[in-house]
Amino acid sequence: MFGLPYTDTVVVLGALVLGVTSGVLGTFAVLRQRSLVGDAVAHSTLPGVCVAFLVAGVKDVPGLLVGAAAAGLVAALLMVGIERTGRIKPDTAIGVVLSGFFSLGVVLLTHIASTADADQAGLENYLFGQAAGLLETDVVVMAVLGGTALLVVGVLRRALTTTLFDSSYAGSIGLPVRALEVLMTGLLVVAVVIGVRVVGAILMVAMLVVPTVVARQLADRFTWVLPIAGVVGAVVGITGSLLATRAALPTGPVIVLVGFSIAMLAVLLAPGRGVLWRASRLATRRRRVRRDAVLVSPDAPVRSLADRLARTSLRRDGLLDDDGLTAAGRRAAEELADRRALWSAWLEHGALVDLPDAREPDPTDLRGSLGDDAVAQLRLLSAGGRRG
Amino acid sequence: MGDAVLSDSIVIIVVAGLVATACGLLGPFLVLRRIALLSDAVSHAVLPGIVAVWLVWQTRAPLPVVVGAAAFAVLCVLGIDALRASGLMASDAAIALVFPALFSLGVLGVTRFADGIHLDLDSTIYGEIAFVPFDAIDLGGGVGVARAGVVLAVVVLLNLLLVTLLWKELKATTFDPAFGATVRLRPQLLSRLLLIAVAVTAVSAFEAVGAILVVTMLIVPAATAYLLTDRLVVMVALAVGVGWVGAIAGHTLAIAYDSSIAGAMGLVCAACFVLALLASPKHGLLTRRLRRRTPA
Repeated sequence: MFGLPYTDTVVVLGALVLGVTSGVLGTFAVLRQRSLVGDAVAHSTLPGVCVAFLVAGVKDVPGLLVGAAAAGLVAALLMVGIERTGRIKPDTAIGVVLSGFFSLGVVLLTHIASTADADQAGLENYLFGQAAGLLETDVVVMAVLGGTALLVVGVLRRALTTTLFDSSYAGSIGLPVRALEVLMTGLLVVAVVIGVRVVGAILMVAMLVVPTVVARQLADRFTWVLPIAGVVGAVVGITGSLLATRAALPTGPVIVLVGFSIAMLAVLLAPGRGVLWRASRLATRRRRVRRDAVLVSPDAPVRSLADRLARTSLRRDGLLDDDGLTAAGRRAAEELADRRALWSAWLEHGALVDLPDAREPDPTDLRGSLGDDAVAQLRLLSAGGRRG
Repeated sequence: MGDAVLSDSIVIIVVAGLVATACGLLGPFLVLRRIALLSDAVSHAVLPGIVAVWLVWQTRAPLPVVVGAAAFAVLCVLGIDALRASGLMASDAAIALVFPALFSLGVLGVTRFADGIHLDLDSTIYGEIAFVPFDAIDLGGGVGVARAGVVLAVVVLLNLLLVTLLWKELKATTFDPAFGATVRLRPQLLSRLLLIAVAVTAVSAFEAVGAILVVTMLIVPAATAYLLTDRLVVMVALAVGVGWVGAIAGHTLAIAYDSSIAGAMGLVCAACFVLALLASPKHGLLTRRLRRRTPA
């Protein structure tokens, strides 16, 4: 596949499964402002791996995964439980569980190092990720777990979304809120346990958060956030692992850096929500305000560069020449004054106007947003107000 | 020989206690400001700084390493602040975006350029508290003092200075930033000062005792103290106290069971937290349940 050697194909497939799963499941954590639960769960898998190793005595992958998952689940439930006692805030709860479990893991590791045979070497790799050592069976386990988790999300999409956004409403329509929250946490643990092996515990955080951040930048509706996050996760996973293979670099860090770059691009450039996009819209709006100011009082002294630019733009449009406003310019200024008069009429008498449906007024185009009838009423009202 | 082991133990406990003090002075503010996990982020984000120092000056000497690490710690904190300020994401998501990227950069740097010297991620870079007594500096007259102890004593003094001099300001802006702003306390500036103090404390302590212990000491004792009191000054004192309990009891346990010292100290702190969560006079789960059963 991809014209790659067998081992690389396995790595790329693993990254793909990881990307889709963590992309979709991470959404639930990020939107609840628990982005770093993944970090804590990932750190918490260490004692689980150690205990599984001590019990089984060998490094067999499914056994270690079960240990990791069990410890991760306990940690995740502890976090939610500590939070629910009320005094401790989510980030502190995450931090306490992370420190406690990781300390336990380190203690167990030193215990293993002093008692067990040489076979224990490499347990720590759980924390940094050893994608190159990924086996076909690992990918199969990951795909089964990830597929099951995605299936559950697909089936329970509505209930999960309702619980996520309004848990008291979800409770009032009879959804088992607490069970759903536990389920959501459990699914997240699945994603983290899958990822720990590919990108490493510390870097797993990025795979949970990047797809959601990107998806939020690109989509307005939550219905779209889940699938987009899945696709973004897949793209990040495949691109990162292919790049890493080509450049002979460790897979985890390359995947994370690819994800970070894509997230930054989305933050800067996403249509409508991107930082640059918003900045340019703000600049356009400022320019229009300057232009309107010059139109209203064309004889005011030119004080700033913005004023000069506004004048240049008006000249280019044939609204202004050396003698002041042109005929077209005067017409534009009258229209502007008329629009403003209408807007202040709306602010003053708007409550008295009978609108067919609730409509949002647009200060620049009241006629368009409210309709001709309402505008006629407003003119009457403001004329009456002036008379009286 | 026996004396040497005993004095090594004392050095380790004192150094851990200094870490506990430095962290206990700042931790409560982090917990109250809901940015406890910033310490974890910083602990990972400093790696590229350490690698860069190695690449440029080929040195692992403490001073340049701490400076390089601190530079990236500050970069991390400011990056998180900028992303949060964009209003596009919550601060936890901003933290989760920035520190994995910086850490990845560091890991790539290590594997690409520093592999040959075995810049080992766990012990060489982040320090191991068991080695603290072996790195002594001569104070003259043949009196050796653990270098980490000297560095951390300075950090403790600086933190103490910051917290006592700006006590009222920090307190006001922690509990009510809006009020702080209206009485011209400049919450933004205070918050940055606090973050820089956290970054410097964390970096200088990582180098001596490892990242896990620092993150633990910043969060867990403060959280424990928060369960035990409603007064900030008591909270700070309790946080320092819990940290010392962790240092002393953790060291004893580690020696008895021959395990990781930092890990054992972390576990003792976590045990203190669990105890407080269950049995705190006001906020404990057990005490609350008892109170419900027997109405006063």
